[in-house]
Amino acid sequence: MRFRTARSNCSLGVGRRVRVLSYGSVTALSRRYFDEIQVGEEYESPGRTVTEADIVIFAGLSGDYNVLHTDAEFMKQSIFGERIAHGLLGLAIQAGLFTRATAPYATLAFVGLRWKFKGPVKIGDTIRLRAKVIGKKETSKPDRGLIIVQRTVLNQRGEIVQEGETDLMVERRQRP
Amino acid sequence: MTGSYFEDVPVEAVEETPGLTITSAHVAIYLGLTRELAEDDTAVPDLLPLAFTIGLGWRVPKPPLVVRAFMGIDWQVLRSVRVGDTIMTRARIVTKRPMRDAGVVIEEREVIDQRGEVVQRGRFTYLVAKRTKETRA
Repeated sequence: MRFRTARSNCSLGVGRRVRVLSYGSVTALSRRYFDEIQVGEEYESPGRTVTEADIVIFAGLSGDYNVLHTDAEFMKQSIFGERIAHGLLGLAIQAGLFTRATAPYATLAFVGLRWKFKGPVKIGDTIRLRAKVIGKKETSKPDRGLIIVQRTVLNQRGEIVQEGETDLMVERRQRP
Repeated sequence: MTGSYFEDVPVEAVEETPGLTITSAHVAIYLGLTRELAEDDTAVPDLLPLAFTIGLGWRVPKPPLVVRAFMGIDWQVLRSVRVGDTIMTRARIVTKRPMRDAGVVIEEREVIDQRGEVVQRGRFTYLVAKRTKETRA
């Protein structure tokens, strides 16, 4: 019986492009299109504690071994008093938090961002994302539109550590 | 501490980094770290080349900027990057503005793939330390 269900689900894909995302919990069928997303929508993500391991992995992955992130002794003398997370690690983590804050958009492309690093993220800090749709623009192509999302990354004390705007190109629903 | 202080920063000099081939291992580590959702098996998340461009900047034979703080990014994604692509970075300092103990430096960066096409580009703003008595050249 289970096998049959799986087969009939598969048949949905015939003649339609159904992409199953690799994390399994979200499918292309539940994505939100340009037309459905409204200016003023707000989302808030769960929190995420940034650990020493996150920073070590990100240094290894990116190759950014700046003393700000890797030299505990040097950083004791700095204005921060200890190692801080890479700015881009915070940016990357908020991108992941966005996927946990709202149903996925039918995003065709990430077009760009304008971003400010306002304060340090230290080991053990818990960050969360607050996001709001602040603009929608039609483009020259009828099958897509631009969604502008304002994003604020806050720490456990409610202080803004990063903020900015991201531009996403999102698919429109096919017109009849 | 060794490095390029604000006074040492050359405006307009172009710097090119070695290349980096993006593998599925890079993508898997990145997705595990961030829990971003992958589009498909060979798509590279758009923020990953942006992260690599900073690490690549450390692979040129020049002391790195003594960055006190990373202030901001304006970034454009022009083309998608796939697993197996090899990227490198071309960078150029376009502005430096002195302040009391440090200075603001704006750098333009392009991420270029193996076909020579610019896939991402934008501007980074850094706060860079000035030399002190102890670090005077």
